[in-house]
Amino acid sequence: MLKKNKKTLTLLLVFGVVIALALISFQIRKNTGYEAKPVAEEIAPHVVFNIGPIQVTSTVVNTWIMMLLLGVGSYFLGRSFKIRPGMFQNAIEWLVSAIQSIINQNIETRDPDLFFPVVATFAIFIGVANLLGLIPGLHSPTPDINTPLAMALVVFLSVPYFGIRTQGLGGYLKHYVEPIFLMLPIEVASEIARTFSLTFRLFGNILGEEIIIAILFIISPFIVPVPMMLFSIFTGVLQAYIFTLLTCVYIGGAVKAHQES
Amino acid sequence: MDWSTLPWDKIFVIVTVLVAGPGIILGITVPAIGQAIVAYSGLKAISRQPEAGDRINSIVLLSLAMLESLAIYVLAVILILVFANPMRAFMLGG
Repeated sequence: MLKKNKKTLTLLLVFGVVIALALISFQIRKNTGYEAKPVAEEIAPHVVFNIGPIQVTSTVVNTWIMMLLLGVGSYFLGRSFKIRPGMFQNAIEWLVSAIQSIINQNIETRDPDLFFPVVATFAIFIGVANLLGLIPGLHSPTPDINTPLAMALVVFLSVPYFGIRTQGLGGYLKHYVEPIFLMLPIEVASEIARTFSLTFRLFGNILGEEIIIAILFIISPFIVPVPMMLFSIFTGVLQAYIFTLLTCVYIGGAVKAHQES
Repeated sequence: MDWSTLPWDKIFVIVTVLVAGPGIILGITVPAIGQAIVAYSGLKAISRQPEAGDRINSIVLLSLAMLESLAIYVLAVILILVFANPMRAFMLGG
């Protein structure tokens, strides 16, 4: 009985603290005359500079910063690999073996190393891109629809690439008409539809998260958005995992037809 | 009654918001029920046969992602309606 009362008291206390923080930050904002930007302006990418007719948006600049971080980081990490792994090397080895297990579970092949570069690049790129927004001053590149669309197009093109590479052109084209030739339009439509589905899944999940954080910032910019940002770490990593898993499933579908025939 | 004197821009915004709210409620509730069914049957399968947990886990996550994309489509449509409606210029005459 006492324990239950304690729990209710704690919950009430947390609610009270949250409301008090909201009121305090509201007062501070009123006194300092700080005007919150509209949500759409906060999230939409803006043009940083022009190269001739090409507009370079903030998404591209953030992606460059991310590429720089990843490239320099992996260069220094790759130079210092030892037989007895240290802290960072342990984490990298865990990541690599996790990606290898995803490939082994979903693609039936004798040579998993063939698919490793594409799949691992997707996993690391999307994971880091989703978490980049947590660094102050930087924004994630993924809430701009062009980034997920580009990655989904790479998946769209890599499926026939691996299919033709493992089973030849004729064998790959045969799986479109496998039971009867009436399946051809359905197969083509599903390949196009899953490209857009991949795009919108990544884009919508990360954008929704960013919009909720931005709205919480407008309501009370003090401490209240922090739990939502913690939750966005989970969402970002989960979305990277799901994108990797779906890539493996799609490539596995193109490769598996070969081994049966 | 003169229709052209009505504040059409305000009516446009009000109608958009009135459509967006119930739309997102409907579009999230239905996939949520589907996701709940998937999670329920996945949990039942894992508790019945814990050795197959890894395989079931990845299939459950895959189906959850597929169902979630339905809700994401609704979110994309609502966002386009509210923030970047392509009909706005047409309806309000530029």
